[in-house]
Amino acid sequence: MLKGHLDMIVLAALSAGPAHGYAVIEEIKRRSAGAFDLPEGTIYPVLHRLEQAGLLGSRWVTADSGRRRRVYAITRRGQRELAARRAVWDQFSNAIGGLFRGSRPHRNPA
Amino acid sequence: MISEYVERLARELDFDPSLSRCVRREVEDHLWEAVAADPEGGGLEAERRAVANFGDPHVIAAQFAVVSLAKHAKRVGVVAVVLIAAVFIAMKARLAWYAVMECPAGEMGGLGDIVVSIDRYAFWLSVFLGMAGWMYIDSRRVPAAFTQEFRGQLSRFFRLCSAATGALIASVISDGVLTSLRLSGAARSPDALLPVLSMAVEIACVGVLVSYLRGMTQRTASTGRTARM
Repeated sequence: MLKGHLDMIVLAALSAGPAHGYAVIEEIKRRSAGAFDLPEGTIYPVLHRLEQAGLLGSRWVTADSGRRRRVYAITRRGQRELAARRAVWDQFSNAIGGLFRGSRPHRNPA
Repeated sequence: MISEYVERLARELDFDPSLSRCVRREVEDHLWEAVAADPEGGGLEAERRAVANFGDPHVIAAQFAVVSLAKHAKRVGVVAVVLIAAVFIAMKARLAWYAVMECPAGEMGGLGDIVVSIDRYAFWLSVFLGMAGWMYIDSRRVPAAFTQEFRGQLSRFFRLCSAATGALIASVISDGVLTSLRLSGAARSPDALLPVLSMAVEIACVGVLVSYLRGMTQRTASTGRTARM
């Protein structure tokens, strides 16, 4: 289930500001209170794919450690896409919430 | 341990050398940062944990292969349109040269008229199909996996590009026939240099387009194999 929402999760993590891959993963863990603990390597193909789709941009910088680091940032198109996905998600979440609120505890017929 | 892992991942990404270099640098930075942030301090054990958390290089490479294939397909779309445009420029340059050199159309007769029609219709068909292929693939989303839907998209794109290439080949062959009819007898004169060169450009464009399409079929097959493994 998580796989189908990875794009939205990554876009949401980057909506706070530009970050490199490791920081994106840490942000996802932090914001989801550890619920989304993915194999870290799976984030990188997603970042590359979102960049190819024009939803993210990237640039190489030199980190304090002296290593070259790729920093990703959400583009305007990415922000629009995130807003659209969020609207769909909120609608879905409200609908499911409504269903659960309307349900009654299961009674044993015996 | 990190170097070995990164080396293995880079080898798995050999199908796209520039992607391999880029990912290698990115992942190396990630893993060293994970080691530095390890609560139990650095060392070999921390490196082992960082590598284990990162995941199987083959699985990661399979995901990258799909992204790379989608990128390659989009590039093929652009290349097809650019090459068709290059053939058009070569054709127009040749016609302009004939006008400047006041080169007579020659005795082509009914056969010439048929070849001219084939040339014209085949070329505009290749323009239409090439544009359609490019717009089609460019408007598709890059998928997360090598799904049946993605395979279908690539197949439709490939058919459009192949048809465009076929039409372009017919147009270039017709150009060759027309050029040789017009230059018959004057083939060794310096006046023939530009028409011959323009024909060489057209043939080269078709060759490049065919090689791109062939490359795409090979990439699609290898990505399919990687995704299945």
